[in-house]
Amino acid sequence: MKAREFMRRDLTSVERDATVGEVIYLMEQSGLSSLPVLDDEGVLVGVISEKDLIRAALPGYLEMLHSASFLPNLNQLSRRLKEMAGEPVSKYMHSDVISVHPDDEDLQIADTLIRHELKQVPVVDGEGHLVGVIRRIDLLYHLV
Amino acid sequence: MILTVTLNPTLDKFYWVDRLPLSLERAQEEILIRARKSASSAGGKGINVSVFLACMGVETVAMGFLAGHTGQIVLRDLLARGATANFVWIEGETRTNVTIIEKGKEYHPVKVHEQGPPVPPRAVDVFLRKYRRMLKRADYVVLGGALPPGIPADFYGELVRLAGEQGVRAVVHAGGKALEVALDAGPYFIKPDVREVPQVAGLPAKSEQEIIRAGQHALEKGVEICLISHDVTGDLLITPDGLWDLQARVPLSEFKNLVGADDALVAGVLYRLVAGDHVLDAVRFGMAAAIASAEIEPKLCLSKPAIELEMKQVEVVRKEGG
Repeated sequence: MKAREFMRRDLTSVERDATVGEVIYLMEQSGLSSLPVLDDEGVLVGVISEKDLIRAALPGYLEMLHSASFLPNLNQLSRRLKEMAGEPVSKYMHSDVISVHPDDEDLQIADTLIRHELKQVPVVDGEGHLVGVIRRIDLLYHLV
Repeated sequence: MILTVTLNPTLDKFYWVDRLPLSLERAQEEILIRARKSASSAGGKGINVSVFLACMGVETVAMGFLAGHTGQIVLRDLLARGATANFVWIEGETRTNVTIIEKGKEYHPVKVHEQGPPVPPRAVDVFLRKYRRMLKRADYVVLGGALPPGIPADFYGELVRLAGEQGVRAVVHAGGKALEVALDAGPYFIKPDVREVPQVAGLPAKSEQEIIRAGQHALEKGVEICLISHDVTGDLLITPDGLWDLQARVPLSEFKNLVGADDALVAGVLYRLVAGDHVLDAVRFGMAAAIASAEIEPKLCLSKPAIELEMKQVEVVRKEGG
């Protein structure tokens, strides 16, 4: 089955000059943990995730959480996130975006998600416009 | 692609009841109404148009504002029906509109409509940027329904103007002030319902002559298709080529749920226009879609054969003076 047949046709996204504060607000309102970043033409130019923001706010924090059995206080993370809130998302997004096409087969998409350890992958048309998103759960649901 | 804009979406909630109390004013401590059946679905004029078109295989993108848990339910339903969604998320809660349909009086439902969350200026800016971007890929844009708190009264005018700049045909599926301010920007197709606001283009539209005069005034402003609903089963089509009276030859007792029927009408017209039909044929199909939708309990009839079956119920009469 092709991506277009089971992709989630949700174009919730931000533009690259959106601020970090706006991104966090949109993630909270929409319930999405990562968002596609688009240019003025609607072409996918990046992806920003919660993890990217935490990593940018406090480099090494996520690694520390993995290796330590305790949580240090959140004051530093909070202070840094507030400092970042007015900055453009383009400063923190991933520009080397992995995406799939509407005519890609489900097997190919599963391979992409597994190989790159992705929770979701954007779907773009031939001109790079965002046309949907495939989450791991969409693929699992489709396979079941 | 057909873009639809629903600035104040709803979760449409339907209750079918056997009987409503004769008078809500009768002195009682409380009134309990037991629903025989209930259903809910994503709603709002533009969203209904998108749902219809997506089910007919037409590429469509729905835009507007969503909020909170109800917004998530609306989005989920819309996506499940195959439409593409591109909404701006705001604080608060997307509204819920309740319709209570009494057995035997299906054509006369009781409705409770919420106001909807206020839209902050920053969200309007974000919406306009998305809207300009989506217009580049659109052939038509449908602007439907009421304006939520926080949206300027002339907003439809701005959206029609932006569509015109991109060569996109604008459809205003609204009446009253929202339509009046949009007319100067030159929409292609308007679909007011004078039962809601007896006025079109700032002119009174109660009698047939007034409706015709108001429709012709809209044509003078550049509108090419003016379809005015004036009766549960009747519409007037006014175009530069003439004037037609369209009647659904169906008794009111056949109707099960009128909510969404006028959206099926607009969506049906667009479905046939993008397929290359002449306006009159497209409107005939739209009327059939509206009849088929009104005759079933779900909001929209999404079966093409069922709609085509209703085509014979649409009576089209050319009128003098058009």
